[in-house]
Amino acid sequence: MESRVLLKNRKPDRILDLAEYRASGGYSAAAEMLQTGRPADVQEALEAAGLLGRGGAAFSMGVKLSTVAEYAPFPRYMVCNADEMEPGTFKDRVLIHTSPHLLIEGMLLAAFSARAEHGIIFIRPEYENAARILEREVALAREQGLLGKNIFNSGFDFDIVVHRSGGRYICGEGTALLNALEGKRPNPRKPPPYPTVKGLWQLPTVVQNVETLCFVPHVVQNGAEWFRNLAAGPDEAGTKIYSVSGRVRRPGCYELPMGTALSEIIETHAGGMAGNGRFKACLPGGASTRYMPESMYHREMGYQSLSDAGFRLGTAAVMVFDHSACLVGATVNLLAFFARESCGWCTPCRDGLPYLHDLLRRIENGQGRAEFVPMLREMAGQMGLAYCAFAPGAAAPVESLITYFEDEVREHIKAGRCPFREAE
Amino acid sequence: MPKLIIDNLEIEVPEGTRVIEAAEKLGIYIPRFCFHHALGAVGACRVCAVKVLEGAVEGVQMSCMIDAQDGMKVSTTDPEAADFRRSVIEWLMLNHPHDCPVCDEGGHCLLQDLTVAGGHSIRRYEGGKRTYTDQYLGPLVQHEMNRCIQCYRCVRFYREYSGYNDLGVTGIAGRVYFGRLREGVLESPFAGNLIDICPTGVFTDKPSRYTGRRWDFERTPGVCIHCSLGCRTTVSARYRQVGRMEGRFSQRVNGDFICDRGRYGFYYADRPGRPRSGRISGQTVSVDQAVYEARDRLQRITEEHGPQAVGVIGSGRSSLQTQSAMVHLCRTTGWQGPVFRNTRITGAAADTAACALNPENAVSMRELETADAILAVGADPVNEAPVLALAMRQAQRAGAQITAIDPRPLEWPFDFEHLACRAEEIGEALASAAERLSDSRRPVVICGTEITDAGIVLQAADLVAGLRGSGKTAGLFCTLPQANSFGAALLDECNACAADLAARVEAGQIRALAVIESDLWHDFPDRPQLEKALEKLDLLVSVDFLDTPLFEKADIGIPSLTVFEAGGIYVNQEGRAQQVRPAHTGGLPITVTGAGDHPPRTFAPNVPGRDMPAAWVTAFCLAGQAPPETDAQMTAWMRYNFAVLSDLARMDADGVRLFAGGKTPIAHEATMPEKPEQCLELLLAAAVFGGEPMSDYSQCLRELAGLPAVWMDRADADRHGIAAGDRVGLGFENGEVSFVVRISDHMAPGVLVVYRHPDIDWQPRAGDTRYNIREDRIRRIEKA
Repeated sequence: MESRVLLKNRKPDRILDLAEYRASGGYSAAAEMLQTGRPADVQEALEAAGLLGRGGAAFSMGVKLSTVAEYAPFPRYMVCNADEMEPGTFKDRVLIHTSPHLLIEGMLLAAFSARAEHGIIFIRPEYENAARILEREVALAREQGLLGKNIFNSGFDFDIVVHRSGGRYICGEGTALLNALEGKRPNPRKPPPYPTVKGLWQLPTVVQNVETLCFVPHVVQNGAEWFRNLAAGPDEAGTKIYSVSGRVRRPGCYELPMGTALSEIIETHAGGMAGNGRFKACLPGGASTRYMPESMYHREMGYQSLSDAGFRLGTAAVMVFDHSACLVGATVNLLAFFARESCGWCTPCRDGLPYLHDLLRRIENGQGRAEFVPMLREMAGQMGLAYCAFAPGAAAPVESLITYFEDEVREHIKAGRCPFREAE
Repeated sequence: MPKLIIDNLEIEVPEGTRVIEAAEKLGIYIPRFCFHHALGAVGACRVCAVKVLEGAVEGVQMSCMIDAQDGMKVSTTDPEAADFRRSVIEWLMLNHPHDCPVCDEGGHCLLQDLTVAGGHSIRRYEGGKRTYTDQYLGPLVQHEMNRCIQCYRCVRFYREYSGYNDLGVTGIAGRVYFGRLREGVLESPFAGNLIDICPTGVFTDKPSRYTGRRWDFERTPGVCIHCSLGCRTTVSARYRQVGRMEGRFSQRVNGDFICDRGRYGFYYADRPGRPRSGRISGQTVSVDQAVYEARDRLQRITEEHGPQAVGVIGSGRSSLQTQSAMVHLCRTTGWQGPVFRNTRITGAAADTAACALNPENAVSMRELETADAILAVGADPVNEAPVLALAMRQAQRAGAQITAIDPRPLEWPFDFEHLACRAEEIGEALASAAERLSDSRRPVVICGTEITDAGIVLQAADLVAGLRGSGKTAGLFCTLPQANSFGAALLDECNACAADLAARVEAGQIRALAVIESDLWHDFPDRPQLEKALEKLDLLVSVDFLDTPLFEKADIGIPSLTVFEAGGIYVNQEGRAQQVRPAHTGGLPITVTGAGDHPPRTFAPNVPGRDMPAAWVTAFCLAGQAPPETDAQMTAWMRYNFAVLSDLARMDADGVRLFAGGKTPIAHEATMPEKPEQCLELLLAAAVFGGEPMSDYSQCLRELAGLPAVWMDRADADRHGIAAGDRVGLGFENGEVSFVVRISDHMAPGVLVVYRHPDIDWQPRAGDTRYNIREDRIRRIEKA
């Protein structure tokens, strides 16, 4: 049973337009909050609801808003991170194409909470359609007084611009995104100070993922209790959009209770394994998370549950591999991506990832040697000492490959070729 | 003050000290590539990893990114940290070309040192290396991008620290590239510092390429003498000639960096035309012969016409030794002089600046970096004293408001407010701008002496006194024309200038001139007057290490030693006397031909050309006295004979401050005449490259001087129908000079600015550094 909160208005061929959105109760949460509520009400509701950032870091949005000090300087910025570039993740795009006003209302409420007057949607340039939709709908919202000056006669001003990213993976990193917006190189910044204290142009800035923001109107309207109860387990909260891809029959976006078991996601919702394959492993949350082996097949896919088991839910982009897939080859592919997308700031990431890639590529191509395995293990561990979270994320597939599939790696080395490929 | 333990050693450091610096205080050198104490910590290279055993954040941390905290326990030798550092170096070496044998950095390369120190000696990586195309970056800096280890020091220095934007980073991941958007000459006059801060051989010294390894050079601490700031340098000499100059750290003066004029200005010292033997009436003689001939003939003129018939002219580029020996020479012989300035107006401004300085209001350049408001009056640091602009930028980055009162089209590498006014309006503008400093606590007034006069300098000094009176720690910072103009002001006893002596020559009172290390030909504002005076002389003696036109014209020429051979004491514009040691022995450079005949096969008991004396030795000989035998005895002699120099006894590594202490500067009554109607005022101004007599001999710097140009305010240009790039002729009384036009929107209207240029032989036409050009004498020769 899919519990549809964010995707309840999803239509097969078009977005939900403003009139439809308002007819379905849209903007009523914002209207009521702006007219009668306090900024702290939004923050308190979100904190109580336990809404965690859906972009991958899983940091409580309510706690983040609480770090915007009351006497912090103005203007403040509300930035929506729509730079969805984590391989395997395609939920934000679906959300924007489903109900752009849900996002706009979410930003409005979040901005109200932080008393931010400037909103920026930072969107990846490949999402040109989504960017145009947002530009059009933002303009319509402005026409109807839902954005702009004195919204709902509350005295609160807020407006949104849509900014297309330069188009590199690292731009989606929260602090690199701020540098990119400032026209600088998208090198991540090292907190402290955190963006909520000194963000865009050194002013308080709240950066949130599309999916997270889309929850805000629902939480404000229905309360924390309701939100917590959406989840599948007591330690989780809300629903989650799982972007399922790989060797399943029906890949796609599924909004399910947070903590739905992996087996249920695959079998009940994604139509089971494709081609009668057998589940071998999956990346649970995009390319920068560890492989989950077969032993985790029935694990609940929630932030807490995976974290307890030593994994990361990330963006909940579930990439499924069956027993015909070579995980060494898959990891070489992922590393090629990360080695290419490093911002080039720190040594482990810029030079270490190509090294990892080179070693693994040699193994895949049959030129591997036994000493490569400990080298891979050591260097993957050392990626944890890089400047930002990029390199540790990039190393996660490598480290988990060596941990759970060392035999497969050694088989490559022993055979002098990839056992999954036809012998030449 | 946090107290922490690093490798079992306890140390207490000021709040905010990074662990990497705390360790350094203990003598523990933690490897680093991106960290640089002037540029700060950015955590990019990750090679400074240490393990925090006890503290707020435990585990392996970057020591440049964490502040020392009370009770912290740090290990730099922990295996986990050491292994990580070794990995970082291995990663950095993946793409490095290992071309050390042909790399000029080899021998003083941080990457080389740390690769060896870190224990990475066997290459495991079997993949390919990325390669780059290098860029032409001008005559000073050689670019070799393949060697790059991406520490980002270059762009952090170039863009953030020094404020120029034509060098930057492009690309991401393993394709990060440090260079210009398009290849071309680097715009920053501080670009040479890239060579010093690059931890490997990406940026190397172009003119000295392939001439020697670090260990081949005799390296000597030096002081730059190409402007009045006295920045510290390290002189590298080999084969009896200077090969390379680098910045040397100074806590008080220049910090870490120097400008490119200072770095590349030394080529005058070994150019082929340099005087190395005596000359009498055009005939080459031995140095001794020339000295004795000069002494005898000057003595004869003294006997025949009295001591008043001999004049002595010196300059601010001589060492304090030479200047004091010249004063002694005139004291003992009764000759006129020595005069150290050319004209009364510029001399009075410089003297007044030196005399206005006292222990209370004097600020060093490093102190200026902490100013919270700066008012610059008639000063153009980028051109007159470049490193001062770097210091001002650091103040501005820390929040100082900077205001400039100046007619020139100032192009400074930081934000400032420019109150453009004509030179004669500076005083008025200064009076009304003073209130800008009223909210500050540590204001500094910078005053130039190139286009101002003594009145402006006094007004600036009074402003500082007033600010100090109202409880502010206000400072006065004046720039002077030459490296030792301050010393000249301290020693001057005759209250006259070269123009006065020239007039006395014309009047027949003076029959002989001894000109010692003076750029009179270059700097004297009225060359027809100078030429007439020289013709009238019975005897002209020139003592110099430069083959100036004056040396060529002299009846007797006596060569002298450069600062690299003789050393000396130079007093910078804040009164700081700094000792320079000789960098190499005098004598002809050893020529290495590489054709198989090295070393030279002619043997002699003496070093060829070793018989040249320092100018101060010659001065003693002209006085008929034996000079002190050693440098130390000379310094003692100076302290004993000149009360104002007695503090030289306290000179340490930071030098010692000397003050004039109530001395009266040379008088100058007249301020500038009012500008006549229908005239534009031509201002001749200093340029960073061009116009400083010594560095003009450096071919690589001449390349940077560009074409002689005249700057015009846009309204003035429009009125004449002149556009940028046009060639115009400016009509002077005795001829026309042509310039390329540059147009500015932020200079004083009614003013034309010409920056000094080695190719402009301006003195025959312009009477002074300020000159009025009638508007109908401005003619467009050629359209752009």
